[in-house]
Amino acid sequence: MASTGKAVRPRVAVAKFASCDGCQLTLLDLEDKLLEIVTRFDIVEFPEATSRHSPGPYDVVFVEGSISAPEHLDQIKALRKQARVLVTIGACATAGGIQAMRNWADHDAYRAAIYEHPEWVESLAMATAVSDHVKVDAELRGCPIDGGQLLELLTSVLVGRRPQIREEVVCRECKRKGIVCIVVASGEACMGPVTSSGCNALCPTYGRGCYGCFGPRIGANAKSWSAGLMRSGRPPEEVWRLFAGFTGYAEPFRSVLTELGKAKG
Amino acid sequence: MITNPVPSPAAVARQWFLAHSDLDDLIQALRKAGRIVIGPTVRDGAIVNDEIQSAADLPAGVRDEQTAGRYRLAERSDERVFGYTVGPTPWKRFTFPPILPIATAHVSGSFGFEQPKIVAPQLAFLGVRACEIAALGMQDRVFLGSPFTDEDFRARRKAALIVAVQCTTCSSTCFCSSMGTGPEVRSGYDILLTEIDEGFVVQAGSPAGAAIVAHLPTRRPTHAETGAAVDVVEAVRTQIGEPLPIAGIDQRLKRQLDNPRWSVVAERCVECGNCTMSCPTCFCTSVTERSDMEGRTSVTERQWDSCFDVNFARVAGGDFRARPRDRYRQWLTHKFSTWMDQFGSFGCVGCGRCITWCPVQIDVREELQAIAPVIQPIERPVAVEPVAASPGRYSLARLASVKEETEDTTTLSLTDLDPAFLGGRPGQFVMVALPAFPAVPISISRFRSNGIDLTIRAVGPTSTALVNLHPGAKVGVRGPLGTFWPIEDAYGRHAVVVAGGVGLSPLHGLVEALVANRDRFESVSLYYGSRTPEDQLFRDDLVAWSAGKSIDVAVTVDRAGPEWKGRVGVVTTLFDMMSCDCSRITAFVVGPERMMQASVQSLISKGVPPERINVSMERHMECGIGLCGHCQTGPYFVCKDGPVFRLSELGDLYVREGI
Repeated sequence: MASTGKAVRPRVAVAKFASCDGCQLTLLDLEDKLLEIVTRFDIVEFPEATSRHSPGPYDVVFVEGSISAPEHLDQIKALRKQARVLVTIGACATAGGIQAMRNWADHDAYRAAIYEHPEWVESLAMATAVSDHVKVDAELRGCPIDGGQLLELLTSVLVGRRPQIREEVVCRECKRKGIVCIVVASGEACMGPVTSSGCNALCPTYGRGCYGCFGPRIGANAKSWSAGLMRSGRPPEEVWRLFAGFTGYAEPFRSVLTELGKAKG
Repeated sequence: MITNPVPSPAAVARQWFLAHSDLDDLIQALRKAGRIVIGPTVRDGAIVNDEIQSAADLPAGVRDEQTAGRYRLAERSDERVFGYTVGPTPWKRFTFPPILPIATAHVSGSFGFEQPKIVAPQLAFLGVRACEIAALGMQDRVFLGSPFTDEDFRARRKAALIVAVQCTTCSSTCFCSSMGTGPEVRSGYDILLTEIDEGFVVQAGSPAGAAIVAHLPTRRPTHAETGAAVDVVEAVRTQIGEPLPIAGIDQRLKRQLDNPRWSVVAERCVECGNCTMSCPTCFCTSVTERSDMEGRTSVTERQWDSCFDVNFARVAGGDFRARPRDRYRQWLTHKFSTWMDQFGSFGCVGCGRCITWCPVQIDVREELQAIAPVIQPIERPVAVEPVAASPGRYSLARLASVKEETEDTTTLSLTDLDPAFLGGRPGQFVMVALPAFPAVPISISRFRSNGIDLTIRAVGPTSTALVNLHPGAKVGVRGPLGTFWPIEDAYGRHAVVVAGGVGLSPLHGLVEALVANRDRFESVSLYYGSRTPEDQLFRDDLVAWSAGKSIDVAVTVDRAGPEWKGRVGVVTTLFDMMSCDCSRITAFVVGPERMMQASVQSLISKGVPPERINVSMERHMECGIGLCGHCQTGPYFVCKDGPVFRLSELGDLYVREGI
């Protein structure tokens, strides 16, 4: 797609479902690259930046948010039909997000506990990833996504190559940076060993355990890691909370949570 | 290749003493010589190697406590600055940077690729231990030892001055003594420090090191000081001991590629790669391209990677090491086996970082001993010296009697033979020859007071001729040959004999010996499978054993007529009857290859340790004494080193060539 000439800019749309808009902001935060981006892409839909609308088809659609309300079910299917390339961005779109914690709970009871008029709120019992509903061509993980990865994805669309986004374990980034392992040296609870990289080991760099916001990395041995966390003296409730954060509904975290749920009753 | 500085005898002989209070003079002398000093300093709860400005940055009075998956700092009772072992930072960080741009490319203007200019800062490494010097040497061989070299590494390595430190303490994770890399520093340094109570005994290992030392306020050490410097390292060696039996590990591992333990450890391993990242010799990398948005200029960045990465061996069509156990095996066998083939040494220096920094507490020493254990030779009686033990020589024996066991199997009782045969042991065999017939190996099925029994199935010309002999006939014999059943290995344990078909023949003498020494064993059982009831050998004995109380006998047949009231099915179906703690079983297995394979797998799955499973291998044998080569299997001649083996001695050789 790269060499079609400058006259034809790829049409880009950004769409949102149940989300906080933080991932859209990551695009706006690419401040010194924004001019170049709009020179090379025609951004025709972008709720966080403009109220302008433009019908499809689109060359690239970035989808933020989880499928969480009844109307989302049809909207995402319609959007897919208009998208040549559909890219999900962020923990909500790729894993269901923090709102997917309700998937283990009584949805109606939650709604009644929070809203004064629960009958006014139309929501699905489960918050799910976009890929549960339509085919997804690429995912950008994180809560929020990483600006560098977003830029690389845009670049790869222009150049016509596979994005050079390494999907590896957070620990690898930690070690390259020379961060002392906080699990081994301080006994911190850290999701690094089962979490996908991309954040450049942001939390461990500041001495905090990884929250797992980039979600389970490919091949994550979540079962062994949950056992390891418990071996170091953490009760099942605490391990449950670690896995249930931003991406808990993505496998294999989901299976671990189901098992832990049985353990903690 | 970079050659590590080797100290001249004169320089080694020359020792100086530097007071603790003057250590900063060394750091400042290095800095004055234009070097950035990288040394130990406390950061984030660990002693890391990083740039230091003065002796004040050093970890005085700090020690480290290390066990599998755990690292903590603690206070020392003194103010020693090198009173710790090795921290999370391998020195490769400074000779082989974790992220390095290795090329730029452009299509705008001209088309081309360029290499960035190599910039190697002048560094001084302070506090390098013996294991770490060995690790630098290993990376030298990897990066500079072939026609294709890494010039960035060469430049950085050359630009680093090594101030080594003798270890005066060790961690539970240290095993340099096993790997032959420490604890004492012997070469590869520019300056060597040994910390004793009052200060440092200093040696120079190169002219560059000597030039630095010349600037220091040293004096000649006393005899007591030089003596203390030697003693302190010796004490560390004693403290470490010999934590990993390393002899032959490279070959032992090669025989264990299908060991079920790989799957066990892989279930625990989270593949974080902390072992490979903190390893001072691991050298794997991957490259990433970064470009501007149009792809007109790009930078190729090389990054440390790990063979534990799920994408590391992936190609377009799939993954060559798709399962976690494939990746764990790749790492461990490279470190302890194939590195030897490629680079002439182990890829491990025994620093123990992979143990300490493993968040799920995997100890590589435990895994190695579980996967490829050293077979401790168990005290066995020495085999009797065989007679006529050279090709073509035979001693004579007379056929005393003949007994038909089954339609095709006959027992010959030999007598009037050399007394050596009577001293043989169950499991051994003899080579039997007749004029005009080639010799055949036959196992001894019974030892009598005046002779031996050979139970022979008529399958070839010699065996057919043998079973057709009449009492009084002479035969040529050579033996007794080969290894025998390690009956002592079952003392105090459950002795389990598993036989298939004529496989009962080499086991018959063993069963008799087990029954004769019954009180030495917790229990004795025989599981015997044959094709049909008519194919059972030693039927009289089976009846007698079943009637007695000393041995439990269970038999089964593959097929039978209606008159058969016993079990039908393969021999492993009898294993359900095992009610004992299977880890306390010592098993003896003989039969057709497939039956042995199934039996062994079943025993292992029940928890019988592989080193407690004994098998007798059948192979083509012509000489019986390890000269003709027919029976060679892996490192063994089955006739001479076998036929009885422990399964753990065979490893992957077992059933590799199955019929």
